[in-house]
Amino acid sequence: MTMVSNLEEFVSHVESYTINGKFTELCEMLNKCHELLMSELDNLDSLLESFNLENHSMAILTILYVKLSSVRNIAQPITLFSQLTDFAINADSHQIQNVPETFADLFHLYTKTIIDMRKPESGIYTLEKAIAKLQEHPAQLTTLHGDFCQLCLLSKNFKPAIPVLDNDITSISKEGNNAFDTKSFLLYYYYGGMIYTAVKNFDRALYFYEIVITTPAMTVSHIMLEAYKKFVLVSLLLNGKIMSVPKHTSQVLGRFIRPLSPAYNDLANAYQTSNYDDVRVCIRKYSEALNRDKNMGLAKQVLASLYKRNIQRLTKTFLTLSLVDVANRAKLENVQQAESYIIEMIESNKIFASINIKDGMVVFHDDPEKYNNPRVLEEIERHIERSVKIDKQIRTMEEKVELNPSYIKKVNAGPEDDLSNQKLASTFSV
Amino acid sequence: MQVDIHVEDNDNYENEHDHIVDNSSLDLEAYANNYTGLARIYRLMFIADHCSSLRVEALKMAINHVMQTYNVALYQTLYKKLVDVTASTNVLPDVAGGGRVGHDLLPQLDQTWIETRNKKAALKLEKLDTDLKNYKSNSIKESIRRGHDDLGDHYLDCGDLNNALKCYSRARDYCTSGKHIVNMCINVIKVSIYLQNWTHVSSYVCKAEQTPDFAEGKDNNNAIFTRLRCAAGISELACRRYKSAARNFLQASFDHCDFPEVLSPNNVAVYGGLCALATYDRNELQKNVMTSSFKLFLELEPQLRDIIFKFHESQYATCLRLLDEIKDNLYLDMYIAPHVPSLYSQIRNRALIQYFSPYLSADMRKMAAAFNTSVHSLEDELILLILDGQIQARIDSHNQILYAKDVDQRSTTFKKSLSMGKQYARNSHMLILRAAVIKHHIQVKD
Repeated sequence: MTMVSNLEEFVSHVESYTINGKFTELCEMLNKCHELLMSELDNLDSLLESFNLENHSMAILTILYVKLSSVRNIAQPITLFSQLTDFAINADSHQIQNVPETFADLFHLYTKTIIDMRKPESGIYTLEKAIAKLQEHPAQLTTLHGDFCQLCLLSKNFKPAIPVLDNDITSISKEGNNAFDTKSFLLYYYYGGMIYTAVKNFDRALYFYEIVITTPAMTVSHIMLEAYKKFVLVSLLLNGKIMSVPKHTSQVLGRFIRPLSPAYNDLANAYQTSNYDDVRVCIRKYSEALNRDKNMGLAKQVLASLYKRNIQRLTKTFLTLSLVDVANRAKLENVQQAESYIIEMIESNKIFASINIKDGMVVFHDDPEKYNNPRVLEEIERHIERSVKIDKQIRTMEEKVELNPSYIKKVNAGPEDDLSNQKLASTFSV
Repeated sequence: MQVDIHVEDNDNYENEHDHIVDNSSLDLEAYANNYTGLARIYRLMFIADHCSSLRVEALKMAINHVMQTYNVALYQTLYKKLVDVTASTNVLPDVAGGGRVGHDLLPQLDQTWIETRNKKAALKLEKLDTDLKNYKSNSIKESIRRGHDDLGDHYLDCGDLNNALKCYSRARDYCTSGKHIVNMCINVIKVSIYLQNWTHVSSYVCKAEQTPDFAEGKDNNNAIFTRLRCAAGISELACRRYKSAARNFLQASFDHCDFPEVLSPNNVAVYGGLCALATYDRNELQKNVMTSSFKLFLELEPQLRDIIFKFHESQYATCLRLLDEIKDNLYLDMYIAPHVPSLYSQIRNRALIQYFSPYLSADMRKMAAAFNTSVHSLEDELILLILDGQIQARIDSHNQILYAKDVDQRSTTFKKSLSMGKQYARNSHMLILRAAVIKHHIQVKD
């Protein structure tokens, strides 16, 4: 019976702290109660009933965490999972702001649990809600983003991830006293890049990989290494060559990561020659490495893209060309293949051309876009709006820096101000 | 002063000029007389390596010349080569060379000459060395400088280029006037050219030009100025900076062109003319080559003069035909040979671009005729030029007509600005994110 009274005591403490709004004390108390709750595993559900989400989110969070960490001993995990989903949707965000770290930990654990149970698809919705709860605004990065993308990747369900990924991150959440974990930052962008690659949005994928490989680094990270490999392949797909990286990229990239991925560098060199056979030989030569890195599929796409790139080159130099010549110059096997490639490319608006079957000639046209219709205007306006928004954002950031007391102090200190001040200013005034 | 001696990476240089010329109209005697010292030997050796019909003659002349020096090692190598060549030509029934070449004509290896020369060289070296030591103990600057120079000359005569370079550069510390410094520079440049150390050449050309006395009395120093320009030209040529090479050669003054240790005025004409033809546009060509003092050089090489004038008159077929005619002789010149293919293709491309420049459309059959080529290979050449952005045109392969590309400025501007806007947004987002990353101390570390 003493146990029950302990729980009663727990409930009354929670109540009194909540009514007086003493969240810090509540938090401290909750952290001390893990063992007590652990021993009362069977009574936790009834305990939950004595609280409501509106007022006691912090207490519920603690109870759910305890429940989840001993999920093996729970008869009905399904109930727990629906409780978690409910919590992610309805928890009081004001209270959550007091314990973001525990909130994040709860869902990290959740992710791990359902991955172990091989049910990644069941968590996508819950994670999405949890992220929204933890964020101050949609452009804020949380440590849960990486988990969310991992679930989407594992369940091969990319659609829910796209709206989240499409938000350009402008700030990073501060979860508790812990510094934001570099690993989860890298993982989010690496997984995000993979999702974009899977849905063939290579432009965005390249952007995400680039973020990973330009993250400040003192040593080699495996995530970075893998991201670099995919960066090379997507670069080739998109631009036909390895994109140059910005100057602020860590030296680790050039010094260690590049030499660690010879297969990809050689592939890029082979691609530059525009010679189909060179690329094929290169892929065959490195097939073991490509398979091991699980990049064989991408490599094959790279190979196929070379045909199209070669045909595209022809459009730049020819007005008319016979199908036979197209096949010869793009090194295709036969006329039929040339024809089918060209038709495919015309349909996907990659090239503008028409085929004259009678003479066996292809006539290449100019881009029919004349930039004189409302659609273009609309697009331009959208771009302008976006740019204005970015500009505003940067100005706010600058103002923030200018109002920063330590910045003002350093600027006023005179010309002998130290490096960190200049660094601060240059970082934000770009 | 210590001079770093390092042989530059000449790998590609070696690979590209193994072109063998079978027959040449070159008058070897007259050609060799244009040069003195090592330049003559090196040039003859180059011809021997690259021209089958002149091989034996060139080697014999080189041997004759080398016997006037102390360069015993080179004599032995040359002799060995000669023996090899005659042996192989005798095995093969070579009709053309058979008359001239035979064992009875082969001079014997002059063992006594080798011995006496070696002795003499050693004696001379010893004498110069003691002289230098004496000068040093008396510390008369001018004598020490001369001593170093003499020693350098002797080493050069013996074919010990590295030691020659060391001696010449040591003289630097004892130079008392600008003239001496320039003199020292010229010596170093000369040896560096023999060593094919091109970075050295250009840095010493700079040094010589920056010497105060030299910069002031420019008018009186025309001879030295021309030498420096020629040296710089050769080094730029070797580094494949053809335009800069042309500029250097074009500054040479005909009346003061006296640099037989390295090149002849004919060489200046050929090097300068070809480089200019490959890299200058029509106006520059007209102004700097055809109507300048360089014309005097061109008179030495009437064929090249004709080529340049035909090119300027847009008679490309004749021009290219003439170029082909002199090709073999160019392949026998040690400095320009490795660059012949790339210079020729640049000249040809320039001709193609110029040919098409006034037209909106051009018949490719006529164009092919004007360039002595087939329509198909013309097409290949044009594709490369179009992709490179050098010709703004598209090919109508069906009717075999080349059309100038009608660029719609408005559309291009729209396209460009849209993509620039995208790029801006991308970069800005990345920077904003980076600011956040730095703020949160996100960094990969151990």
